[in-house]
Amino acid sequence: MSDTILKADGLKKHFHLGGGFMAETKLVRAVDGVSIEVRRGETFAIVGESGCGKSTLARLLMRLLEPTEGAIEFEGRDIAGIRGRDLRELRRDMQFVFQDPFSSLNPRMSVGKLVGEPIETHRPGLSRAQRRQEVARLLSTVGLRPEHADRYPHEFSGGQRQRIGIARALASNPRLVIGDEPVSALDVSVQAQVVNLLHDLKSELDMTLVIIAHDLAVIRHMSDRVAVMYLGQVVESGPTDEIFANPRHPYTMALLSAIPEAAHGRARTRLALSGETPSPAAPPSGCRFHTRCPFAREDCATRIPELGAATQESRVACHYWQEIAADRPAAGLTPAAGLSEGAQRRFALYEAATQATTPHPRTAANAEA
Amino acid sequence: MAVFLIYRLVRLQIICHQSCIGLRMGSAMVPGRIVDEGDRRDMDRPLLQVEKLKFRFRGQSQDVVEDISFRVGRNETLCIVGESGCGKSVTALALMGLLPRDSVRFGSGEIRFDGESFAPSDHDRIAAMRGDRMAMIFQEPMTSLNPAFRIGDQIAEAVEQHRKCGKAKARERAVEMLRRVGIPAPEQRMGEYPHQLSGGMRQRVMIAMALANDPELLIADEPTTALDVTVQAQILELIAELQAETGMGTIMITHDLGVVAEIATDVAVMYAGQVVEYGPAEAIFNDPQHPYTIGLMASVPSLTGPRRRLSTVPGSVPGIGQMPEGCRFSSRCPFAAPVCASRPDLAEIAPGHRAACHFAPLDQRLERRA
Ligand SMILES: Nc1ncnc2c1ncn2[C@@H]1O[C@H](COP(=O)(O)OP(=O)(O)OP(=O)(O)O)[C@@H](O)[C@H]1O
Ligand SMILES: Nc1ncnc2c1ncn2[C@@H]1O[C@H](COP(=O)(O)OP(=O)(O)O)[C@@H](O)[C@H]1O
Ligand code: SF4
Ligand code: SF4
Ligand SMILES: [Mg+2]
Ligand SMILES: [Mg+2]
Repeated sequence: MSDTILKADGLKKHFHLGGGFMAETKLVRAVDGVSIEVRRGETFAIVGESGCGKSTLARLLMRLLEPTEGAIEFEGRDIAGIRGRDLRELRRDMQFVFQDPFSSLNPRMSVGKLVGEPIETHRPGLSRAQRRQEVARLLSTVGLRPEHADRYPHEFSGGQRQRIGIARALASNPRLVIGDEPVSALDVSVQAQVVNLLHDLKSELDMTLVIIAHDLAVIRHMSDRVAVMYLGQVVESGPTDEIFANPRHPYTMALLSAIPEAAHGRARTRLALSGETPSPAAPPSGCRFHTRCPFAREDCATRIPELGAATQESRVACHYWQEIAADRPAAGLTPAAGLSEGAQRRFALYEAATQATTPHPRTAANAEA
Repeated sequence: MAVFLIYRLVRLQIICHQSCIGLRMGSAMVPGRIVDEGDRRDMDRPLLQVEKLKFRFRGQSQDVVEDISFRVGRNETLCIVGESGCGKSVTALALMGLLPRDSVRFGSGEIRFDGESFAPSDHDRIAAMRGDRMAMIFQEPMTSLNPAFRIGDQIAEAVEQHRKCGKAKARERAVEMLRRVGIPAPEQRMGEYPHQLSGGMRQRVMIAMALANDPELLIADEPTTALDVTVQAQILELIAELQAETGMGTIMITHDLGVVAEIATDVAVMYAGQVVEYGPAEAIFNDPQHPYTIGLMASVPSLTGPRRRLSTVPGSVPGIGQMPEGCRFSSRCPFAAPVCASRPDLAEIAPGHRAACHFAPLDQRLERRA
């Protein structure tokens, strides 16, 4: 059964820029007509390059921003215009994890206060002692120790701070968590710890996860379905495996072929893009990608492509995706030539040893303090 | 803090830049590749060789970089890879003579550039080569570009100082370099200020400025980390093209193993101020030996093949002053044993491939131990 937990329809957010006395105002179309559906229990990913509107979309979905136009439904209820009590309730059911573990935590609050604060807001019935207990439970859920409650954010590493941010998000027992680049600021070895943690929490706590990222490898690893954004719009969406194996939109193809993969000597055909993303204040006419698209034809500059069904599960916004697919072999990635036999044994030894020394990934963070 | 520091360092560089006199007078001032005196192109001699570089900052109880050695040949790209704080940037700054003199203490080390030997503390002699025979580009282009001056003037000035050519010639070279790095309508762009350009364009301008004097060595410190992948691909391609054309040696500093796989001829893996594994790129990727290299690679989610739970490197990098004695990786290494309290040598495992681990090669030593 695919039950929709969160749905956006024709969502837009336009910002006015500049416009001092006598100055011309510019309209920044940060999100410009996005429709997505997130299913209960899945991990849904939003991917795209800097400035394409990912964070703005996330803030709209969370109702941290008010949409210029369009509808948002959470569990079948329209939330685009709610305020006051309804909004507070929404904040309980839907939580946010930020990118930057360094600036998103108030440095003057102890970890106990940081995690206790949302408990106090969303579950005011709890006594002080119950709250302390709940903080301790949440800290161990994210792989920290109850004693950490008395320490301050600066005493923790980046990965640990991100765990604190996650504990805060979990405090209200949300049904949906939106992470805006939740692992992007972390070093890869620590990123892997947090990726595993999110994965475990999701299945244990029965949550739905919306992950925003620009790192396609992280997206592929974590998500069930994905939406690819370009200049404020979704250009392709569908099951992650399908899109990675067989991208249909030229932008998705270019994005996938541009990622350098950590494997030696893989032959690849790169679909190079010229130039950079145009400004969302002056999006190109017709297909917004036509200024950089290697397959663009004349009418792409005037005709706007709709996000239409490509298969039962996936959608693409390109006039010519069928012709492009017919002319090209599948543009997905192929695995690299392998490791030496000795190296394979070394990787196996490493994995066995890390599991032996850290029986559960959550205890990984305990090891250091 | 760190940002401020780098800013100061670079200001310093610009000041030095303005006061130093170009060493190379013999180069002909023609657009395109400048032909060098043949004797500098001795192929057996590495362009740059660093031996046992070791230093700490004043007031610190441990070295920030400990006995690191590597070499770079012409036409080669050495990638220095490691996670944040492992000492990549300070190593680059040391090679450029850009560390703050009064707060750095060199313990040992020798830098041989094209056969000529320098002590790392010999800032003045190193400074004389900077901007001319060797050049550096940074993650944040605004560390090298001055926001108050037109980009054309900035590039032309760098050329004029080192080449001692006239203004007109220098401007010609600036236009040519802008064209070379793929900036459309370079004549018009010459008159623009850095803030009028996008991030990718600024990166190109910085590359144009760094390469305007045809350096023999380019040090690039995370030049694409702040860029989108499609723009990153363009910039990496550009650097590779320019390298193929001029034969310069390149040191690319990055934390991204993907970038390394793409461009490296050789790789130095750094952890906590030490080179823990060193060798040809193919050996590092297909036959990694050091537990940290293995952990790092296993932590990267794959773009192809089945999805499996990620391996991790437990814990995080200890701060300076809290590094364990001996093998600095021992506080996070799943194979650590009492012997790891003594420092392992960076020992040769196969020709040209070195790893600093008491148990390398793990598959033979550990399976026996088990
Ligand atoms: N409050 C605002 N006022 C004006 N413009 C804004 C505002 N917030 C965002 N924008 C603009 O909207 C566009 C989309 O921004 P957004 O932050 O959503 O991008 P993003 O996809 O999250 O990018 P990144 O990957 O860099 O985080 C950008 O051009 C941005 O400059
Ligand atoms: N001028 C300085 N004084 C004291 N410590 C410094 C200075 N510059 C860098 N460091 C420290 O040296 C270490 C290595 O830094 P850096 O080379 O910038 O790391 P990387 O580039 O690998 O991320 C860090 O712990 C950093 O805080
Ligand atoms: S509609 Fe035209 S310009 Fe747009 S992606 Fe398709 S081919 Fe390219
Ligand atoms: S020397 Fe010991 S601690 Fe260091 S990497 Fe090898 S096994 Fe691990
Ligand atoms: Mg964002
Ligand atoms: Mg650095």
